[in-house]
Amino acid sequence: MIRKLILAAAENSIQHRDSPENNSNTKFEFTPENLKRAETIISNYPKGHEAAACLPLLDLAQRQNDNWLPISAMNYVAKLLGMANMRVYEVATFYTMYNRQPVGKYHVQICTTTPCMLGGVGSDVIMETIQKKLKIKPGETTPDNMFTLSEVECLGACVNAPMIQVNDDYYEDLTVEDTNKVFDDLIAGRKPKPGPMSGQNHRFSCEPKGGLTSLTSPPTGPGFGVRSDL
Amino acid sequence: MAKIATEGILAKLKKVKDIVKFNGGVWNSIVTLYRTDELKQGELVGEDKYGNKYYRNDEHIMGRNKWVVYSDKVGMNYDGSQVPAEWHRWLSDMTDTPPTVKPPLQHRWMIDHIENKTGTQQRYVPYSTTRAKIQSWQPPAPSK
Amino acid sequence: MLGYRFLSKLKHVLRPRPTPSVGFARSQEAQAVANKLEVFIDDQKVVVDPGTTVLQACAMAGVEIPRFCYHDRLSVAGNCRMCLVEVEKSPKPVASCAMPVMNGMRVKTDSPVSRKAREGVMEFLLVNHPLDCPICDQGGECDLQDQSMAFGGDKSRFVDNEYTGKRAVEDKDIGPLVKTIMTRCIQCTRCVRFASEVAGVEDLGTTGRGNDMQIGTYVEKLFASELSGNVIDLCPVGALTGKPYAFTSRPWELRRVESIDVMDACGSNITIGMRSGEVMRIVPRVNEEINEEWICDKARFAIDGLSVQRLTSPMVKSPEGYLENCDWEDALFCAAEKITRAGAGNVAAVAGSLVDAESLVALRDFLHRLGSETLTVNSEHPSDHLVNDLRASYIFNSGIVSVEDADHVLFIGGNPRLDAPVLNARVRKCWIHNELEVSLIGQDVDLTYHHNHLGETLSTLEQLLDGSHAFAKTMYAAKRPLIIVNGKILCGENGSRVQDLALKLANKLSQQHAEDGWNVYNVLQTEASRVAALDLGYKSSSKSALTKQTKVLYLLGADDEVINRADLADDCFIIYQGHHGDRGAAIADLVLPGACYTEKNATYVNTEGRAQQTRQAATPPGLAREDWKIIRALSEICGVTLPYSSLSTARQRLCEVSPSFSRYGDQEEALFFQQVVSLSEDSSESGATNEKLTNDMKDLSHFYMTNSISRASRTMAKCVQAFKDKD
Repeated sequence: MIRKLILAAAENSIQHRDSPENNSNTKFEFTPENLKRAETIISNYPKGHEAAACLPLLDLAQRQNDNWLPISAMNYVAKLLGMANMRVYEVATFYTMYNRQPVGKYHVQICTTTPCMLGGVGSDVIMETIQKKLKIKPGETTPDNMFTLSEVECLGACVNAPMIQVNDDYYEDLTVEDTNKVFDDLIAGRKPKPGPMSGQNHRFSCEPKGGLTSLTSPPTGPGFGVRSDL
Repeated sequence: MAKIATEGILAKLKKVKDIVKFNGGVWNSIVTLYRTDELKQGELVGEDKYGNKYYRNDEHIMGRNKWVVYSDKVGMNYDGSQVPAEWHRWLSDMTDTPPTVKPPLQHRWMIDHIENKTGTQQRYVPYSTTRAKIQSWQPPAPSK
Repeated sequence: MLGYRFLSKLKHVLRPRPTPSVGFARSQEAQAVANKLEVFIDDQKVVVDPGTTVLQACAMAGVEIPRFCYHDRLSVAGNCRMCLVEVEKSPKPVASCAMPVMNGMRVKTDSPVSRKAREGVMEFLLVNHPLDCPICDQGGECDLQDQSMAFGGDKSRFVDNEYTGKRAVEDKDIGPLVKTIMTRCIQCTRCVRFASEVAGVEDLGTTGRGNDMQIGTYVEKLFASELSGNVIDLCPVGALTGKPYAFTSRPWELRRVESIDVMDACGSNITIGMRSGEVMRIVPRVNEEINEEWICDKARFAIDGLSVQRLTSPMVKSPEGYLENCDWEDALFCAAEKITRAGAGNVAAVAGSLVDAESLVALRDFLHRLGSETLTVNSEHPSDHLVNDLRASYIFNSGIVSVEDADHVLFIGGNPRLDAPVLNARVRKCWIHNELEVSLIGQDVDLTYHHNHLGETLSTLEQLLDGSHAFAKTMYAAKRPLIIVNGKILCGENGSRVQDLALKLANKLSQQHAEDGWNVYNVLQTEASRVAALDLGYKSSSKSALTKQTKVLYLLGADDEVINRADLADDCFIIYQGHHGDRGAAIADLVLPGACYTEKNATYVNTEGRAQQTRQAATPPGLAREDWKIIRALSEICGVTLPYSSLSTARQRLCEVSPSFSRYGDQEEALFFQQVVSLSEDSSESGATNEKLTNDMKDLSHFYMTNSISRASRTMAKCVQAFKDKD
């Protein structure tokens, strides 16, 4: 039990610890396509300010490496940008969207901040559904390395509460059935259509359930309300 | 007459004679007087294992009525600390029962009485258990 | 992180530039007077330059603002919030360390708002700071302790008596010198800024965020810097403390003795912390002209070497070849007999790297009275051709502080980062702030900043001289160039050749700057005793001492590998006088125990020619005595009594020999610089030019053990091991 606690603490720690899959000798290099992308990103910034490309490059590295960022990838990005390794570590540990430990194929992030907790059926219900479905708790990965569940703060889709994010896709306006369906599809290898689900009647985006209540007329053209002599 | 015999000069002389006799003759009396600066007669209460003899004579005043004559082995090098604890107890009137009557408790772990060794070769010298602040250089052995 | 980056840039912009020339300076001054700003600190008027921060303005008004993250010599971070003050018409309290003053600003440093802000900040800091002051090494000199007493609230609202837990952070292992107790950290980021700005080793950083933010290296890593010990002084709390000093003493138990460091030739100013005759620690003392407020790790941590391997009794070699303890009388009479029997010219002396000027002059006078002239410093130089008669040829003429005005520094040979860490820190500072260009001839090393590596051989120097080198143009375009020749290179095999070429180059460069007295040619000596020895007429080649004629060789603290028994005649009698049993004592026939630099009041001259004195903190151990007294006693027994018997008369003698010893603390400038340069014009040294300039300081592992004290130190040995193990 204590050992498990220590291990859990080590996993969430800000300090890096060498492990067989994550140490500075792990090989990491951009694929040729990604290297090309990286060069394009770097060229967006003025010369001498290559360090500004740190965030997108780390993201690129994370995408290339099964959605997580090993220490060797951070070192590689630092070398590519001519930064000190430590400066890249600072960035990578600051932002929570960089996963510094391996995650499952689908990284499920469920928002449990107030609007999601209150909106629709509420995130508590969704959380319970997911836990029952995947048989894991937040912060854990399924044994088959398919799903990692994370409890996160606001993901900026409050109007469509409750919601989850699976890798890059948002599934919004969730109900228990929707959630089960999403995971059934994912387990079956299908990709469910992202966006608002049945919670608010499959709306297009974040418009009110009963149709628009304002801005109902078409927008006026140029010259509207302008003095005729101008 | 009887008064003279008990209180007069003759009585004193007799007492001197008794004391000299008690101390083993004229020569021995002179030796004892030289060693102890006094010549006394008394009841031999006991002798410890070191050869010290303990006497008692209540004719003397309190404080002088018990005394020790140190073993002949120590000669003139006698010292108060040569008296073992149980006799020390009797000598200094902590008790009137001498250890000959009531022997002291003996335990396996008790060590023999040791006299005070101050001023001798076997004296106790305290030593420091802390490491020296400065460590000296040890020259290497000659390379030959 | 981004915040302090930006602010550090801002500081560079705001920082007043050094005035390039006198005329320009005057016009700038006139402008500045017009540009001055008027601010009111607690209704007291202060006139300051634009760009001054509120905190600096308060300091000018004599008001001390509490601070944790702000430090004079580091960029502004503004993250501790302790320096909050109320500014009139400002809706919120402002962080005074990061706020530039504005005209007519009214600052209230002791208003209820300011006080409440400070108390609030202090309360937040203390909520997660462990209450382990009784076992904390910083206790007694802790900024957090002091400021919570002065500026904190008077009662506690901390009610977590069930210990649900304060924030706790795991400790980091960053090497054998700095101990980390990270739970005490208040995230002021001073150490991070020091590492990246001054030390130039970007190994420390802040990881994580919010309550989980930590200072550390993220990966387990050695903080490999020659200046790493300074983070201990910088840390305002007990998060970073000295590992060798841990749990040894309290600041109020220490007697502070102001002294001089002798581990390199910079003569960094130090304060020795002494308790009951033992040197407990060494901390830097501010000297703007030399070390600012940094000292290198060797100066700070080699002190455990002062108590081991010491010579505590005179020793004489027995017929069987063993050195055996004896008393002073036997030792001195034995030495006197050998010396008088040797005859006038057959006594030679070699002075080592840690010797003070008093004993150098005593030994010099002693040998002169015996009729011997063979006095040398410990160097491998093959001939005595060096132009060493004129002072300008062996000192750092323009002074260490001149780096601030220079626009180009050319290092010839050596590794300035390890030979003179405080000088290198200053060069790095100027490289950051003044756009100083640095180039290096010799083996390329990591100087912690960008430098142009021009070449490894003498031919590079020749090409620079005749202008054929690609870099020559840049070099000659420099307005205030500095040539810094490493003293070890000058003592090496190609010494005279290097000196010749460097002087010629200096002459060529200085012709552009002859009028403003800018000295181009500088020598960076690496041994604390070297300048004093050369001032006193010691020769720079040990070769003359190591001949078969020498009957008695007097080693005054000479522990370097130059001295070899095999070079001497078999019957040569070696007298070693010094404080440590090292290489010198191992080959000696007679050992006289001397005092080391913490145990005597002695004079040392640094590479700039600045005479400074060490102060006695401890007594020499056992039978050891002050060095000049030993020589004085020996002279009396030899029948050539030296005419001084007190420290003051010995120092008078020093001043007679060389006036440079007459003023302590000031740099004595060398005269005849032009003559030195013109002398080099006459010389026609020639030789192979493809020889590489050697360098024995390739990386940090070579830095820690360079003299008899640091070789005896266990801490330094641990550092070498840690550096070797780090990969």
